[in-house]
Amino acid sequence: MPPETSSLTLPRGSRLGHTIAQNIGLILAGSILLLAILGFVLIYALEQHRLPGNFELTSTVNSAMPLVFAAVGQSFVVLTKGIDLSVGGVVDLANAMAAVTMGKTLGSALLWSVVILFVGAACGLLNGLLVGLGRLQPIVVTLGTLSIFQGLAIRVLPQPGGAIPPSFTDLLVNPNAPYALIFIVLLGLGWAAFRRSRPGVDLYAIGNDEAASRTLGVNVLRTKIIAYMLDGLLAAAAGLFLAASATAGDATTGDSYTLTSIVAVVLGGVSLFGGRGSAIGAIAGALITTLIVDILFFGHVDPLFQSFYEGVFLLIAVVAGGVIGGAIRRRR
Amino acid sequence: MTVPAAIAACSVSKSFGGVRALTKASFAADSGSVHALVGENGAGKSTLIKILGGRIAPDEGEVLADPALRIGIVFQELTLLPYMRVADNLLLGREPRSHLGLIDRAAMPGLAERSLAELGITHIDPRALAADISLAERQIVEIARVILASPGILLLDEPTSALVEREVAWLFARIRALRAAGTAIVFTSHRWAEIAAIADRITIFRNGSDVGSFDSIDETEAITLMTGRRLEALFPARPPAPDGAPALELAGARAAGTAQLDLALHPGEILGVGGLAGHGHRALFFGLFGAPGFIEGALRVAGKPRRIRTPRDAIRAGIALVPEDRKSEGLFLPLKVRDNLTLPILRRLSRLGAIDLGAERRIASDTIARLAIRTPSAAQPVGALSGGNQQKVLLGRWLLTKARILLLYDVTRGVDVATKHEIYELVVRLAREGYAILFYSSDAEELAHLCRRVLVMRRGAIVADLPAEQLSAEAIVSAAMREAADAA
Amino acid sequence: MKAAMKYLPRLAPESWRVVYAIVAAIVLFLIGEAVHPGFLGLANVETILVIASFVGLVAAGQCFVILIGGIDLSVPWVLNAGAIVLATTSMGLDARAPLAVAATLGLGIAVGAVNGAGVAWFGIPAVVMTLAMNGIIEGLVLGFTGGFTCAACSAYAPPVVQSLAHGALLGVPDALWLWVVVIVLVSAVLSITRFGRATYALGNNPRAAVLAGVDARGLTIMLYAASGFFAALAGIMLVGFGGQASLGMGDPYLFTSIAAVVIGGVNILGGRGHYLGVAAGAVSLTVLVSVLLALNMPDYVRSIAYGVVILALLLAYGRETET
Repeated sequence: MPPETSSLTLPRGSRLGHTIAQNIGLILAGSILLLAILGFVLIYALEQHRLPGNFELTSTVNSAMPLVFAAVGQSFVVLTKGIDLSVGGVVDLANAMAAVTMGKTLGSALLWSVVILFVGAACGLLNGLLVGLGRLQPIVVTLGTLSIFQGLAIRVLPQPGGAIPPSFTDLLVNPNAPYALIFIVLLGLGWAAFRRSRPGVDLYAIGNDEAASRTLGVNVLRTKIIAYMLDGLLAAAAGLFLAASATAGDATTGDSYTLTSIVAVVLGGVSLFGGRGSAIGAIAGALITTLIVDILFFGHVDPLFQSFYEGVFLLIAVVAGGVIGGAIRRRR
Repeated sequence: MTVPAAIAACSVSKSFGGVRALTKASFAADSGSVHALVGENGAGKSTLIKILGGRIAPDEGEVLADPALRIGIVFQELTLLPYMRVADNLLLGREPRSHLGLIDRAAMPGLAERSLAELGITHIDPRALAADISLAERQIVEIARVILASPGILLLDEPTSALVEREVAWLFARIRALRAAGTAIVFTSHRWAEIAAIADRITIFRNGSDVGSFDSIDETEAITLMTGRRLEALFPARPPAPDGAPALELAGARAAGTAQLDLALHPGEILGVGGLAGHGHRALFFGLFGAPGFIEGALRVAGKPRRIRTPRDAIRAGIALVPEDRKSEGLFLPLKVRDNLTLPILRRLSRLGAIDLGAERRIASDTIARLAIRTPSAAQPVGALSGGNQQKVLLGRWLLTKARILLLYDVTRGVDVATKHEIYELVVRLAREGYAILFYSSDAEELAHLCRRVLVMRRGAIVADLPAEQLSAEAIVSAAMREAADAA
Repeated sequence: MKAAMKYLPRLAPESWRVVYAIVAAIVLFLIGEAVHPGFLGLANVETILVIASFVGLVAAGQCFVILIGGIDLSVPWVLNAGAIVLATTSMGLDARAPLAVAATLGLGIAVGAVNGAGVAWFGIPAVVMTLAMNGIIEGLVLGFTGGFTCAACSAYAPPVVQSLAHGALLGVPDALWLWVVVIVLVSAVLSITRFGRATYALGNNPRAAVLAGVDARGLTIMLYAASGFFAALAGIMLVGFGGQASLGMGDPYLFTSIAAVVIGGVNILGGRGHYLGVAAGAVSLTVLVSVLLALNMPDYVRSIAYGVVILALLLAYGRETET
């Protein structure tokens, strides 16, 4: 009996093996999140001599909410092999609009929330059109629109101020219990559904290889526009959460979300080269980023050194992730 | 013909940036038959396939296709999405839906497995990422994806380039089944044996035009039509047999993906290396050039042991590599011809880091003249040149380095016949001047006519060493295709 | 018209982008004069060019790394650290100025080299590496200076450094002379040196560059080091210009330097573009801000106009040539 050709006798990987290897970024992000939670609990217990309770959980979740939404938005664009520097501008704009428009009642706040989400999606549409039709690189397009959105935000709310109805704050970031976790669950479910829709599959296809996707009949322009619009919509949602937390508006506090959303996406195992990773990872990345700040706070690290430790942590996480991921892929 | 063709092209022309790919080419294929497009690399077959498939629009002429028939295309460049599962790739655009109307990702591997099994493929794991399966498997998945969409017209551009004999047999069984079911099949290949085995009708292409369609034609006649000249006229006389000490020796050298390799290359020799794509030639050539280097074994240049870990080491040792994929591995397309030529020798042309532009200009124009590179000026972006002239720029770059060992890796791929002839002349002339040349080609005919000795590689090992008296294209191909059991 | 076209030099599309960038800068100057007569006064033009020179210095480094498809997001805090290191090590004394300048530039080079090593050796994406580095430097600077409250932190720049930023030679501000030297040097490096050719090769096709014998890792490290050097140099000039180092003084230079590079006609994916265009881009952006300021436009209009003009210039000549 002659041996069969090599290609016909390749052993099959087990299902579990495939699942691990193909979701290595997500698994690493989950592990880091677990470590961060453990680290937080440990440091908190050492410093406060009790375990963190409802209050700590609630305040951590609430403070993470804007970044969770901004990071998920960013992940849509990064999956297409793009990057969105205008996230901060959209957060600013949404935040400013919320502070100016919402008034005193929950009804008007909700109504305006819908309007603001639409505005965010419109900002994304502009980005998507410039990238898709204008044949410009995402990084330069969003650099320009960042400035435009920031300007609009200042126009809407020249000075910090305005007001958010307390009922709206209670709904989004209830200070008494971690109800905001529901939004994270909804976001995760929404992502799971999107992942299983035509645009969801196409998003990964163009991130993998745009030219090949076009050849295979993927509507590249439509997919990109959808990705940027969802990104804008979620950045606007981040602005709403930010406004709800602060109970007032400020047209510049959102700026930092441009870079932190990129950090969260990277920590969440989404490849900046497109086509690999998921929004679930981005959520984990956002939670990690928030927890690190808390750990540094409860660890009594001089707040002036905070960005130093964050930077070091980011590098260690990325290098370690690359090494572990590479080792697992090679072992197979 | 009374029955209208399933698909036909009527005198279509197409140019890419001033280079004519097709000139008034016509062609028609019928349902229930296999139509082979035959021609040299660069004869316009791939362009015609893309035009037939509606992927690019012709500059002139038109394509007539039966609108009732769905067109499926297997492209020469694989279009699998690397970080998606085989199942995702196979079912892209036809994913199964769950009762919620969402894509049922969990059901996809099972469905893909059953679909593949129907086509007789049981060795490819639909759960694996496309990036993690072998080249041949990727090509099979690519073909399977198109066949699964049950096209009425099937266009296959070089579908066998990465396949071994039994996989080719599988493909031909599928093609026969589709033909029996009434599909019109258009097929390109440059392996004559395959064409003879499967084609009902053959259209021969040369320089972007069809030069004749036949129900049967013998090989010699076909080659004459394809090349526009007799084979003997295409190839120059071989250089004389070399003597003297080897310029380059390998003993027990192994690279990732090869067995231990031994070879000796002499000055004045064109040592051929043949075999099917994906069988370790690339690892051998790039190993010799330090990109990446060999993992174990010894390498001697002019009798002295050398360590070659990076391309810089290789260049210092007087080795030059001209890769097959000049666009991604050789040239800087937007940069000037001059910049492309002189990059590795700038150290020689510089004082304190600043380039002597006058000397550089002279060297560039000398090289352009010596190799008859057709370009308006040395300042022309190299991307605007034709494929053959681009290849000459790349050759010229390495000749300037004073390297005496040339690794030529499929250098005539995608080059028009006239330039091919010039490259053959040049290679032979270089051998006569004492260069040691290691010459890999996917075209067995080329090896048979240029070399006095050909090493055939299969699965990473050198499996045959054919001396001049046994050399023929058939001998090379059969050594490359013979299964391990027969060889033993 | 046709006849005139014949006399235009035959330039590659990439060179045309440099021309467009220069034309854009001139047109913006003319618009300034049109909407605000007196805008083209010598003093005003001088001031604009001096301010543009700070952007131009940072953009020189940014240009080097973008030419190989990288990016340097650590510019703001390298600049800020440069300014504070200069102020604290010189303690405002001319005698200590040479040492302080050397220390500052050395710091910039060292930080840039670490960026380059992270990108080249560890394969960390440039965005991540330089973003993390920005945070690391920010944390170190803030931590060690107690948030700019240390005794030496409020030291003035040595008079010799201040005069470099404010003085003039032959009627031209020293800062401009410095920029002219940088423009000439950087342009020469890009155009006629081995280093420059290797940079374009690496930016166009990294694989082919390595196969042509370019030391990709060493070159990458040197280019990022150059970026760190120029950010630190800009820090020195700014501390000389403003007298003192201040918290967050580098922040505006991140996006502005990237914008100057891209509207200067450099491809953000690498391989194409030239510093001459980038210098023009730096001038364009500064002129734009000055015009809007001269017209007493509110903040938000400046911000919006800034974005719109960047996008308009990019749409005019910064598009990908292939689909």
